[in-house]
Amino acid sequence: MTGSEAAGPPVTVNILDGARTELRADIARGTGGRASLERYSDRIDALLRRLVTEAPRSSVPVALVATGGYGRRHLCLHSDVDLLVLFGGPIAQQEEAFLRALLHPLWDAGLVVGQQVRELSEFSALERDNPEFLLALVDARLVAGARELFDRFHSAFHGASTHAFILESLYTLADERHATFNGTLYQLEPDVKEAPGALRDVAATRTIAQLTDPAILRKGPTDPARFEDAEDFLLRVRSALHAITSRNQNTLDHEWQERIADLMGYPGSEPRQRVERLMSDYFRHARVVDRAFRWARRTAPVPVGPNLGRSRDGIGFLDPVQAARMPSSWLGAFTAAVAEDTGVSEDALSLMQQHVDRYRADDFFPAAAERAALLRFLRPASGLYDRLSEMHDCGLLGRMFPEFQAISWRVVRDFYHKYTVDEHTLLTIRNLERLSSTEVPERVRYRNVLGDLASPELVVLALLLHDVGKWRDDNHEIESERMAEGVLSRLHLAGDARETVLFLIRHHLKMSLVAFRRDTEDPEIVRQFASFIGTESRLQMLCLMTWADVQAVSPDTLTPWKEELLWRLYVDTYNHLTQRYGDERIDPSQNGFHDLVPGLPPDLSKEELSQFLEGLPRRYLQLFNAETIHRHVRLARDLRADDVHVSLEAGDGGVWTLAVVTRDRPALFSSICGVLSSFGMNILRGHAFTSLGGLVLDVFQFTDDERFLELNADGRARVTQVLEDAVAGRVDVVGRLKGRERGILQPKNAARFPPVVRSDNNASSRYTILDIVATNVVGLLYRISRVIAAHGCDVELVLIATEGEKAIDVFHLTTGGAQLSEAAQVGLTADLQRTLEETR
Amino acid sequence: MKLIKSIVRPNKVDEVKDALAKLNIAGMTVTEVRGHGKQKGHTAIYRGKEYNVSLLPKMEIEVVVADAVADDVVKAIVQAARTGEIGDGRVFVLPVLESYKIRTGEKEV
Repeated sequence: MTGSEAAGPPVTVNILDGARTELRADIARGTGGRASLERYSDRIDALLRRLVTEAPRSSVPVALVATGGYGRRHLCLHSDVDLLVLFGGPIAQQEEAFLRALLHPLWDAGLVVGQQVRELSEFSALERDNPEFLLALVDARLVAGARELFDRFHSAFHGASTHAFILESLYTLADERHATFNGTLYQLEPDVKEAPGALRDVAATRTIAQLTDPAILRKGPTDPARFEDAEDFLLRVRSALHAITSRNQNTLDHEWQERIADLMGYPGSEPRQRVERLMSDYFRHARVVDRAFRWARRTAPVPVGPNLGRSRDGIGFLDPVQAARMPSSWLGAFTAAVAEDTGVSEDALSLMQQHVDRYRADDFFPAAAERAALLRFLRPASGLYDRLSEMHDCGLLGRMFPEFQAISWRVVRDFYHKYTVDEHTLLTIRNLERLSSTEVPERVRYRNVLGDLASPELVVLALLLHDVGKWRDDNHEIESERMAEGVLSRLHLAGDARETVLFLIRHHLKMSLVAFRRDTEDPEIVRQFASFIGTESRLQMLCLMTWADVQAVSPDTLTPWKEELLWRLYVDTYNHLTQRYGDERIDPSQNGFHDLVPGLPPDLSKEELSQFLEGLPRRYLQLFNAETIHRHVRLARDLRADDVHVSLEAGDGGVWTLAVVTRDRPALFSSICGVLSSFGMNILRGHAFTSLGGLVLDVFQFTDDERFLELNADGRARVTQVLEDAVAGRVDVVGRLKGRERGILQPKNAARFPPVVRSDNNASSRYTILDIVATNVVGLLYRISRVIAAHGCDVELVLIATEGEKAIDVFHLTTGGAQLSEAAQVGLTADLQRTLEETR
Repeated sequence: MKLIKSIVRPNKVDEVKDALAKLNIAGMTVTEVRGHGKQKGHTAIYRGKEYNVSLLPKMEIEVVVADAVADDVVKAIVQAARTGEIGDGRVFVLPVLESYKIRTGEKEV
């Protein structure tokens, strides 16, 4: 080649000149509006396609995308050409060659190109620092290259959170822009692009509609045809300005107003008259745009989730046609309404009502994600009752749970109930919801119990189903349980969660019966109830369920008197469960043991099970399910005198479970706590059991706050090894903790609760019960257990719980096989009190 | 006529009601009350926190009976409500001067 000059001007220049000449001619005729600009944009498209065809091939897919005004096909004579060059993979030499071949001819031809070069992967995260670019991408349009790549970009870019961010940015940018014009569109020398009511507001209005409700402009005070006219007018003025000034000039200065008026053919004998006509047309059109923009901004739903928007009417579906076809998305509207503290819009409720009968229960939660979302939705939170009522009213609740439909408007005549069964049910949930934020002094104690539950949604689920059996006239709790089994199976709720919900439903009348009709001052009644209920967490759940259920019977049913009776039963049972369980031991001739035998896996024998369980507290059988007990039995297999068997497993929510089986030895508990602390583990819950025969089973649940197990591939093996060494006395725990001692003794988060230390020889016949409540910090248990060991006391049983930032630990202690003397108790508690105060 | 007012353990109400029914005493008023007598309440501890239960929940049962059966009614209540422990409650017997049926305005003798 001898250079393009030899053959005349390059092709690019020719094509561009041709396109510009054509547009100038349109402008000269006063018709440089939308139609002309679209044609001009098409010409530029053709030019770019040609350049892409001629450019060396990129090694990865590439798409040339028009953005901003060019994306809308409103490219003006001297506007920047905004382009996104999108690559489907990493940009290397070949891609750079492609870019040069594309961009250099454009630059040489004098086109101002605003190009952004990106790899598709960059759109996986939102580019928050460049809101203008994100806004321009809303108008993205494929000009040349890979359609499939563009489609992937499109779906990666258009998500609810991106839309929400773009809208928020759009409003901020518009406010800033309007402020520079003193917030008025009536400018004597208006900027036809940036001023209030000018072209940028036209685009903003369209963006709001596109991202929220495409029909919004039709609903507003402005006739859409007038809005279109206004846009066309503003584009014609801008085109004329570009043509007359030969540059990207957008301010309609006095200097140009006369010539523009002439060019656009305004009549009048005097130039002043023609200018006045031009300007009054300008203000008329700008006002139309301004009103439309404000309306759209005021009424547009804010995207709050997939296909969901929040507007003045509440949460609605952005695309109703899509929503009608996707029943699995409906719960999202109610979840968003709870989160946004609003309702679900009438339109959305009508849509669901209209289509709900087409679907079966499973269609509303077809996959694990939707089932998990349903359970999350049921957590007691402000607005839950209102949303459930909306779901019930539009027929969704009864379709999701046909079992619930059976009690819809069901009237049961008795002397107590004031509402239909379905409403009574929903009111129980409202009671729990209100409890979660109550400040009523007498109810704060119940609120704290609620705050303590790991899975409060299970109580709500149990409440929702507790009376479904009332479609029949007798024994409704048994029928409710039977019906609930179907619901829980559809929700794929298994294991302990399933057992708990069924237990709560089956026995929802039990606690009120005992609290109000039995002599709860009789320790035997409390013992029986504690044995029936088994664990603190079930007790807490049943207590709250009873409280909510009684209160929903009528406004007067739950008197302060009944609340007091219920609370006393709760406290006495709680204390029994946590302090007296050491006296009740497993005897292989008892029921709890026999229940386990039929389900024994082939590798476990009855003898092995019996040997393991004998002499452990009966509570053990209530705390763990059969599967876990089998694991513990295997862990204890072939345990010799000096052996330590350890298992460490990851569970849900970053909680690890450690089980240790060994023979009892001095300071064992303290060693284990010390090792966990030395790795920075935060112990949440736990149980330490010693059988009467000296077998020790300790189970801890903890979080790995320093991510030791996550960051070290051999972390589990190391923790296990150190534990075994420490328990066997091969590792000096105190030494390991030296480096951490300062951190442990001076925790970062200052304690908020004065520590409470109490000891008691009355609760149990065999043990001294030591009750400790203190601020939960890493190393707390180690500090406590070290003091206990230093006083020569043996830790027989421990129960570890946390309630928010409080740690609640109950130790069963002996010294020399007997309860501690009065003097020993005083010495120990004083020492503990001092240790805990020091670390406050 | 006598007004027999008894304060009993909450869990004894059903037994007292049954005992009164056997004596053909049909009408009664039952109220949830709180108070204390010799059984002064106790200190309960929940999660390290002490709280005082000074006023104990009790049930108050009121019946109006003819003088002739008052003694039997008192005996029946005492028998039904007794556990033998502190906190079983009290029975008070008060004279009733006049009594009217609201529906008919009729005076009962």
